[in-house]
Amino acid sequence: MVPEAAVAMESTEDWLVESLRLYQDFHAFDLSGATRVLEWIGDKGILVAGYESLKKNEILHLILPLRLSVKENQGLFPERDFKVQHGGFSDRSVFDLKHVPDTRLLVTSGPPGCYLQVWQLAEDSDVIRAVSTIDVHESEGRLWPRVAVFPSVAPGILHGTRLSSLKVVDLDSQKTTYTSGVSDDDVLSSLQVLNTDTFAFCCSSGRLGLVDTRQKWAPLENLGPGPGSAGRRWCAEAGGRGPGPSIARLGSDGQLCLLDLRDLCQPVSSVQCPVSMPSPEPELLRVTWAPGLDNCLAISGFDGTVQVYDVTSWAGVGHQVEPLFTHRGHIFLDDSGMAPAPLVTTHTWHPCKPRTVLSAASDASLHVWDWVDPCASR
Amino acid sequence: MPEIRVTPLGAGQDVGRSCILVSIAGKNVMLDCGMHMGFSDDRRFPDFSYITRSGRLTDFLDCVIISHFHLDHCGALPYFSEMVGYDGPIYMTQPTQAICPILLEDYRKIAVDKKGEANFFTSQMIKDCMKKVVAVHLHQTVQVDDELEIKAYYAGHVLGAAMFQIKVGSESVVYTGDYNMTPDRHLGAAWIDKCRPNLLITESTYATTIRDSKRCRERDFLKKVHETVERGGKVLIPVFALGRAQELCILLETFWERMDLKAPIYFSTGLTEKANHYYKLFIPWTNQKIRKTFVQRNMFEFKHIKAFDRAFADSPGPMVIMPGYCVQGTVGHKILSGQRKLEMEGRQVLEVKMQVEYMSFSAHADAKGIMQLVGQAEPENVLLVHGEAKKMEFLKQKIEQEFRVSCYMPANGETVTLPTSPSIPVGISLGLLKREMAQGLLPDAKKPRLLHGTLIMKDSNFRLVSSEQALKELGLAEHQLRFTCRVHLHDTRKEQEMAMRVYSHLKSVLKDHCVQHLPDGSVTVESILVQAAAHSEDPGTKVLLVSWTYQDEELGSYLTSLLKKGLPQAS
Repeated sequence: MVPEAAVAMESTEDWLVESLRLYQDFHAFDLSGATRVLEWIGDKGILVAGYESLKKNEILHLILPLRLSVKENQGLFPERDFKVQHGGFSDRSVFDLKHVPDTRLLVTSGPPGCYLQVWQLAEDSDVIRAVSTIDVHESEGRLWPRVAVFPSVAPGILHGTRLSSLKVVDLDSQKTTYTSGVSDDDVLSSLQVLNTDTFAFCCSSGRLGLVDTRQKWAPLENLGPGPGSAGRRWCAEAGGRGPGPSIARLGSDGQLCLLDLRDLCQPVSSVQCPVSMPSPEPELLRVTWAPGLDNCLAISGFDGTVQVYDVTSWAGVGHQVEPLFTHRGHIFLDDSGMAPAPLVTTHTWHPCKPRTVLSAASDASLHVWDWVDPCASR
Repeated sequence: MPEIRVTPLGAGQDVGRSCILVSIAGKNVMLDCGMHMGFSDDRRFPDFSYITRSGRLTDFLDCVIISHFHLDHCGALPYFSEMVGYDGPIYMTQPTQAICPILLEDYRKIAVDKKGEANFFTSQMIKDCMKKVVAVHLHQTVQVDDELEIKAYYAGHVLGAAMFQIKVGSESVVYTGDYNMTPDRHLGAAWIDKCRPNLLITESTYATTIRDSKRCRERDFLKKVHETVERGGKVLIPVFALGRAQELCILLETFWERMDLKAPIYFSTGLTEKANHYYKLFIPWTNQKIRKTFVQRNMFEFKHIKAFDRAFADSPGPMVIMPGYCVQGTVGHKILSGQRKLEMEGRQVLEVKMQVEYMSFSAHADAKGIMQLVGQAEPENVLLVHGEAKKMEFLKQKIEQEFRVSCYMPANGETVTLPTSPSIPVGISLGLLKREMAQGLLPDAKKPRLLHGTLIMKDSNFRLVSSEQALKELGLAEHQLRFTCRVHLHDTRKEQEMAMRVYSHLKSVLKDHCVQHLPDGSVTVESILVQAAAHSEDPGTKVLLVSWTYQDEELGSYLTSLLKKGLPQAS
């Protein structure tokens, strides 16, 4: 029986009682507008931004409740609220947001995709101001450029809508310091900076690779799972702690593929995650590796849940897996009670607390949860 | 210039110690009179010297309004009324009136008896202060005097908390005090109608926060209680009788039922009686669910919750105890502040071995709540108190953009002046209206029409009537004003010929007016008289005398300038 059906019969109250056992800590917030970005700024602050198309969207710099940041005497901190440290307004929808490390600058991207907006967190007040733009020399209909940041004394902004338009632009001088130089028009779905010279890309087709910017285009690549079902889209993330594979590629039908850096051509394993239906919005697919746990990752973008998996001992193709933990809070705490049920738009792991995850949904809810490892209690 | 002035009192940027002075249409109102809990010297009181400089407080202030019983809103009231000196009315809701003196007395006891503070108000002062209180009901318009009226609205937050509308004529200010826009288990949410005040004053202490949901707070509370009880431990929950206690009892009872728990829950007896008594009185102030429950059974009759007996203190096994609120200075308060060693009477030192969990259930409006309230009231301007301007620039922009209003954030001691344009309704008499309509031209909203009348102001009533009617009513005789102007023209002809020429000229130019040549030689234009006369010294100069009444001023002036231009040459 699909877990979701059984769970649908419980009420909010029941779920909250259940939650006593499922979570160490659980906080639920309502933002004024739904976000599809959750970007860390330091280990105590996060950035969220609205994505509505017809009105002004807010970009907020939120500080986590104090009790989630302290290590001792948590009990003596009654404050459980997020603090709005900075706020700003964007006329465009924000689909991607990156913080430039060691600066007060942010870069956002969204439709129409002809430019990236650079913002600054004010020092003497709580305002986020638009300071400059970075041109993207093409704008194609509904496509918008993915963004990643090369942190350095002179930060470089990596962006592109297709492999052919991949560029690195120096933030200060606006000069282009790198281009892919290829004509492949595969549409990009993820971009991730790995170190000062390397970045990873993943295309909607599933084609992914690692690129060294010091060389002419010659990425370590996996060309993708092949034609497969029409309309299937992919995203990927590199990361992972522990000895196992460190690249996860997630498909909109729930297929999850793990690859090893040492041999990208041969996936280590490929499984079907138990999702009730294909993702209604493949652009919202997210797969993230837990920074504080070995071989642990989370996926979202299919429904109102976030699923956590332990991928140790996954091998081979096609076998069924069960999530280690499923967060259903967004479904049960949905006050609107209207169809359709909220969709999780994004999630992220806390950089220091191993099992703490933040997740956001289309009903503007934002949850911070610290799940209890069911295996640990055995 | 009509204006509203607002000054938050108190020194520094510290939060707490709410006390706001509002001047509206000549009336002066003090909103709240709070004590700052963090100081133990004069800094805990608002800076009343701002008002006392200008004379006796009773003469200067028309009234004092207290929004709710929290000490940072009413703690300085006895000091203010009995030690600084104020004898005017103090308005508050009934629950606030009942609960304030209890808290004030508790605080006084700790400060004076336990801490030995001097220059503190006495028990008698609290009583004397409360004698000046006038209780108000929700949505009841209270006339403070002929011109000033106030009205209380439900604020949620704590029992008896209210938001107040202060109105003089067509100008009004709404003060929110502390309020909450999300209902909880024992209180409803704040609500106000679309009263469209000139100004909405709201506390902004929590304006830059996004609140964790109530359910999560409750969940945390139950989790801690459950874990302890499961381990066989005891749980002590200090809670204020007339607020959260009710809520937590319901929560625990529901949870105990569901989980089929057996551990006893005890409530301090004194607390039960007090709370029960007050709840009976203030049922209209709690939310719907509580009211229904109360009708069915006694407020504090629970299946699992019983009165506490000291004899139980040493009983082994799990237990949950709810003793009562921990006022600052008590053992309970010290433990909640994190102290792990307590010095008791007789130099005995106790180690605190229990786990301490400090939870906050108090409900304040966060950014979302403030936006909701502004949306409900639809003020022309918004003023945020108790926030730091630099840290609220974003919220100010948000409010200004969303509602197209001006948003102010004064520091303590800083005055904000808002110009207002009060509208004064004036009744127009039917006779005057008919006469104007008879002029023929239809009223045009875009073109102002000049109307002559007399404004009569009597008993705060304004009427516009015709001059004749005014004279009749006032029993006065009308004076006639006549102007005469001399126009010198160079002309050697005789006066009669002159007059003739004037007549022909005016007849041809003023085609819309009645121009006549009278037998005595003078010319009339409507009721204006033009006469030609010889100059006394210069035969070559003729003098035209133009004479008109005050009512014909316009035409008279026009005629004069026309004639000054000279007459056309005879053909």
